[in-house]
Amino acid sequence: MFANFRQSVSDWIFRATVPEAPPVTLSQRRIFILPTRQGYYFAFTLLLLLMASINYTLSLGFLLTFLLAAMGSVAMLHTWRNLAHLRLRPGPCPPVFAGEAAHFGVTVETPSRTRFAVAVRRRGEEPVFADIDASNVTMLSMPVPAPRRGRLACGRMEIFTRYPVGLFHAWSYFDFGLTVIVYPRPDTAAGPPPTHSRNESEEGIPIPGDDEFNMLRPYHAGDPPRQIAWKALAREQGLLSKEFNATASSELWLDWNDARGADPEARLSALTHWVMEAERLGQGYGLRIPGMTLPQGRGEAHRARCLEALALFGDPKPQ
Amino acid sequence: MSAASLPYGGPSLDVRNVFWLLASMAFVVAPHLERTPAWATIFCATMLAWRAWIAWAAQRFPSHWIIKLLTVGVTVATLYSYRTFVIGRDAGVTLLIVMASMKLLEMRTQREVVLSIYLGFFLVLTNFLYSQSIPLGIYLLFSVWFFVATLVGFHRVGRTPTMRERLVPAGLLLLQALPLMAVFFMLFPRIQGPLWALPQDARAGVTGLSDSMTPGNISQLIQSEGIAFRVRFEDRIPPYQTLYWRGPVMWNFDGRTWKASEFSRAATLEYSKAEKPVRYAVTLEPHGKHWLFALDVPATAPPGSSARDDLQLRSVRPVDQTVRYELTSYLDYQYGEKLAGILRRFALSLDEDRNPRAIALGRQWRDELGGNATAIVNRAFQFYNREFTYTLEPPMLGERDPYDEFLFETKRGFCEHYAGSFALLMRAAGIPARVVTGYQGGDINPLNNELIVRQADAHAWTEVWIENRGWVRTDPTAAVSPLRVEGGVNAALGPIGAMNSLIAADKFGVLSRLRYAWQFANSSWEQWVVGYNVERQRQFLTQLGLGLNIDWRTMALWLIGLTFLIGGAISLGLLVRDRPRRGEPSLVAWKRFCAKLAAAGLVRAPNEGPLDYLARVTKARPELEPDASEITRRYIDARYGSGATANEIRELRRRVRAFKAA
Repeated sequence: MFANFRQSVSDWIFRATVPEAPPVTLSQRRIFILPTRQGYYFAFTLLLLLMASINYTLSLGFLLTFLLAAMGSVAMLHTWRNLAHLRLRPGPCPPVFAGEAAHFGVTVETPSRTRFAVAVRRRGEEPVFADIDASNVTMLSMPVPAPRRGRLACGRMEIFTRYPVGLFHAWSYFDFGLTVIVYPRPDTAAGPPPTHSRNESEEGIPIPGDDEFNMLRPYHAGDPPRQIAWKALAREQGLLSKEFNATASSELWLDWNDARGADPEARLSALTHWVMEAERLGQGYGLRIPGMTLPQGRGEAHRARCLEALALFGDPKPQ
Repeated sequence: MSAASLPYGGPSLDVRNVFWLLASMAFVVAPHLERTPAWATIFCATMLAWRAWIAWAAQRFPSHWIIKLLTVGVTVATLYSYRTFVIGRDAGVTLLIVMASMKLLEMRTQREVVLSIYLGFFLVLTNFLYSQSIPLGIYLLFSVWFFVATLVGFHRVGRTPTMRERLVPAGLLLLQALPLMAVFFMLFPRIQGPLWALPQDARAGVTGLSDSMTPGNISQLIQSEGIAFRVRFEDRIPPYQTLYWRGPVMWNFDGRTWKASEFSRAATLEYSKAEKPVRYAVTLEPHGKHWLFALDVPATAPPGSSARDDLQLRSVRPVDQTVRYELTSYLDYQYGEKLAGILRRFALSLDEDRNPRAIALGRQWRDELGGNATAIVNRAFQFYNREFTYTLEPPMLGERDPYDEFLFETKRGFCEHYAGSFALLMRAAGIPARVVTGYQGGDINPLNNELIVRQADAHAWTEVWIENRGWVRTDPTAAVSPLRVEGGVNAALGPIGAMNSLIAADKFGVLSRLRYAWQFANSSWEQWVVGYNVERQRQFLTQLGLGLNIDWRTMALWLIGLTFLIGGAISLGLLVRDRPRRGEPSLVAWKRFCAKLAAAGLVRAPNEGPLDYLARVTKARPELEPDASEITRRYIDARYGSGATANEIRELRRRVRAFKAA
């Protein structure tokens, strides 16, 4: 009940969630604090202790009651202080396949002491705890299930602590606008990528591959290192990439029309599997899906481009 | 960037955390063990061991029906061992202890851990039902510390915290809580308890005088070092032999036992005052009965009490907490010149069948001396003085004619023997007589000039009624052992008990001074902590100058104000400590050193390390070499070496300040 109440109060306070520019420092104003359920039990215990002390006129009972009450109030300060002045930055948010858990990374730094048992969570999900060491940057990686392809937005996150005695819950919200790209789930039943060549009509047109040296062209980000023309670099001609032509026989096109499936999602899953397979076999490949054609290529960056195109096909609603 | 620590799940029931809780529980229960039945002790130990084993060997918890069965079992066992159907103090505490130890077996989740710890705080309180002494208070403060440390441990994640990592934060919390606690203690409006009826045994085991006197029961009391009350005199302390603290007055006599009568009535005291009164304040320890002790005779009765026509002060409520009252007494007085017929008959009543020889002796004196009361009293005193011995270990006396045996055979006795037999002889001789019990003398603490009256000072004497003089105090013990009345029981009997024999052996008085200091501490503790009640609070706040008629609203306002003040001070202190640092102190000092050199034309290049820079500086300005190399060495030590102490940093700063390049 109190949790719900707290949620609605904080929703009201943070009506607009605008992604913030990092780093976010948890200043005094943005930290909130309320008793936990344990805290209310503690207050009830104090009430019982007080009544017993009055009834039996136990002066030392009064002392005990007041010591614990004062300890509770001081604990509020300590809990609050366990969160204050922490600096938050977005961490890595690597892409995942649908059905896996996406991980949203947040790095936390403390300007002074070590902070114990600080946790980060998204609403309604299990928190991830860590001690924030004074001499280091701590990364908290929050697993979130990613059931569907597309862009998974992290949204508002809560950073909280209950240390040292668990009587109070101090928390703050932050939103870096973190997203994770969720690739379609690979359909392993789709078999190996089709090897037939569908581009006889386009014979003669050089297709980027890596079998036959063709020409030097300016370097693009993502070109594999072995494609860089090191000799040209040594001659101070600048950073150039060697372009090769793929031979028509090894040329592989992963085509929307080849993928069988009842619905677009099934086709996307099959294509995803093929991209993975082709990459695994070390083959060059291109991707043709409605509205987009990615030229022949190979390597980590190429694969990521292809998978991203598949993930964002048809512009799925952000989750 | 590096991932310094891996994320963890939430707080857990780690083995060591569980052990801490079990140890704290054992610690808080320990003082109870001398009181609880043996089966409860064994049961508790078993439960603790069982829970420890579950945690240690990752065993399964017992099923719910076992717990239910045990609950019923221990409840029945508790009621049976106290032979009661009502949960009184002792039975309640025993039940709470066994239930708390059983609760540990149900402790599977974080929530249940916390409830167990809260239960532990309750167990702390139950100890105060039996004693509120300084040592126990300190002991239980430690136990609270351990519980809070356990709580801290349970709220850590990942690596199990070390003992230091538990005790230090917990100690800090409690230390910072102390000022707030003190303010609450002083200002929280006190309510006079009890709020509900106390169980019968709530005040059991309090020592003190009883309302009857049989030969032998005061000498038991005298072995006790316990304090009966403390007295602070306004100016002078009256002579020792006049310090008769009146307690219950006994009229009823059945041949063996003297009993306080219900005959005495509330009365306004009428007596002739002869001299300057003595003013004093008494702090009386709880004794569970109604009477208040006063020097005879009190001029007025303190609030909440009434004076009886036999000069007793009786409190309306039983004295079951420390009370303090102020009194004025007249030591030289005449009282009760007129004795009503019924009272006279009552003060002469005797069981003719018992103690025949004593009665015969009394009659013989009356006949010989022609009923002259003064002469009879003197004769009796001579009788006692000649043949009797004052001793703490009198021989046992028979049931039927104990005073005959005492007067004519054993002739060894203690004050109750003398007072009882003397009153009997007087009644037989036709002189109205009664026995008064109370305390005589006391012990002056030189540190605060307070008179401490112990149970060992318990005394019994008699009062006889003499025509034209009224009731006169006659103390036959003084006839046997004048030292008892002039110097206290220790002077008359020699030291009692180990403590006293130590003190007697201590020639330089170190021990007795220590003992006085301890008594002083105890007395302040009793007065300002244990005895801090509604009246003491009012008195204290008046002394603080908060006004004479302070009400709870003013107190609440002060309380809130001071709470905010102290809370503000603590948070300010914490904030100052949290202020982000300006940088490494050694780096700040070194940058200042560089700035000084730069002002002299030697600007450090951005890529120049401290040693390269030093080399260039010494080449350009050889005369700066000793100072500059010392500063550089110290800076490198502090920043890249094993770190620097505050002193070393201070020294570096001082050298930089003294450094002159221009």
